[in-house]
Amino acid sequence: MTTATSTEQEHGLGLERGCYVYGVVPFGDGLIPTGLTGVGDAPVRLVRHADIAAVVSDVTSDRALGRAADLVAHSEVLDTLAGLTTVVPVHFGSVLLDDDSVVEEVLAPGREDFADLLAELEGRVQLNLRATYVEDAVLAEVVAADPEVAALRERTRDLPEDQTYGERVRLGELVARALERKREEDTAVLMEAVTPRVAAWVERGGGGGIDDVVDVALLVDTVNLESFEEHLEGLAEAVHERIRLRLVGPVAPYDFVGGAGWA
Amino acid sequence: MTVQSQHRRGGGYLERPAPSGLADVIEIILDKGIVIDAYVRVSLVGIELLTIDARIVIASVDTYLRFAEATNRLDLYEKGGKDLGEFVGDMQEGGASKKTSGAVKGVKRALGSGGDDEERRPARKSSSRRRSTEEA
Repeated sequence: MTTATSTEQEHGLGLERGCYVYGVVPFGDGLIPTGLTGVGDAPVRLVRHADIAAVVSDVTSDRALGRAADLVAHSEVLDTLAGLTTVVPVHFGSVLLDDDSVVEEVLAPGREDFADLLAELEGRVQLNLRATYVEDAVLAEVVAADPEVAALRERTRDLPEDQTYGERVRLGELVARALERKREEDTAVLMEAVTPRVAAWVERGGGGGIDDVVDVALLVDTVNLESFEEHLEGLAEAVHERIRLRLVGPVAPYDFVGGAGWA
Repeated sequence: MTVQSQHRRGGGYLERPAPSGLADVIEIILDKGIVIDAYVRVSLVGIELLTIDARIVIASVDTYLRFAEATNRLDLYEKGGKDLGEFVGDMQEGGASKKTSGAVKGVKRALGSGGDDEERRPARKSSSRRRSTEEA
């Protein structure tokens, strides 16, 4: 960690102090709810520059960040703010030296970009939608649709594993490929039903599990939130025998602010 | 949230878990958000491990064996009193794709038309379906 010479002298304890940045919001008086605390239970406050402000709290670097409580605090601060105003989330673990460097290194150089992003995100929230297969149902489809899979399954299921290694690899390969095709088809169907109703969407990372179909972040206009959820409920009902839909949020628009740096 | 959807809907097919556990939070925030210039990177205790855990590489022999095992574990004979023969019979009526296209039509019927493309936008960044671990 970079040494904060001036702050070190100020506090005289050899403790490095820093300014933890959660995100950037349009500046507003009284925006931060009383008693809102962040990482290390420190009070959350704003650092203003013109019409934007960084949401920050003080941290000392004698403790490493990255504990469960720190991650939870980061997301709670951002999600709270997202419920009150528009917020551009900053990457977890971003610490600057002090308020001045927040202004000079983040807010001033990024002001136009932040203003553009804030305008784009205004009145919108993120929802995370994950679709997973009802595993038994889709595997049954795969077995039923491919005679070779059915035959391999019959041959391998009751024999000792070491006698059927090659056949089991072949069976698994066929099943994996069939599922991959199903995933593509089903993803297309789901996205066709969902994306016309959202402002933007982005596919999120996901596991390679048997039951994973697709995992997307959706940016939804707050005014449409309720009808959108009803729409998803209808979709979930229509596909429920094969696919489960899980919706998390609203959360801060973590997936719609780009991952790269400004410069 | 101004519109905090606490109320449960009648149907309840859509799962609406509140993100609570550490795993949920990590999934939502890790690697997300603006990366600001000149920030001090703080050591992240334990995060790397968790990240690697959460992402599984696909397409290895082990994966295939896992799929095979899952397929063999299936008890097709217990599914709603249907045996495999009937199931296959059903499927053969309309070919293998019957179920999928049926589902597609069902979805379209259930939802009406989703509106036109006026609001559609390309994804900001599209990540490929097949993921690697390097994302961590």
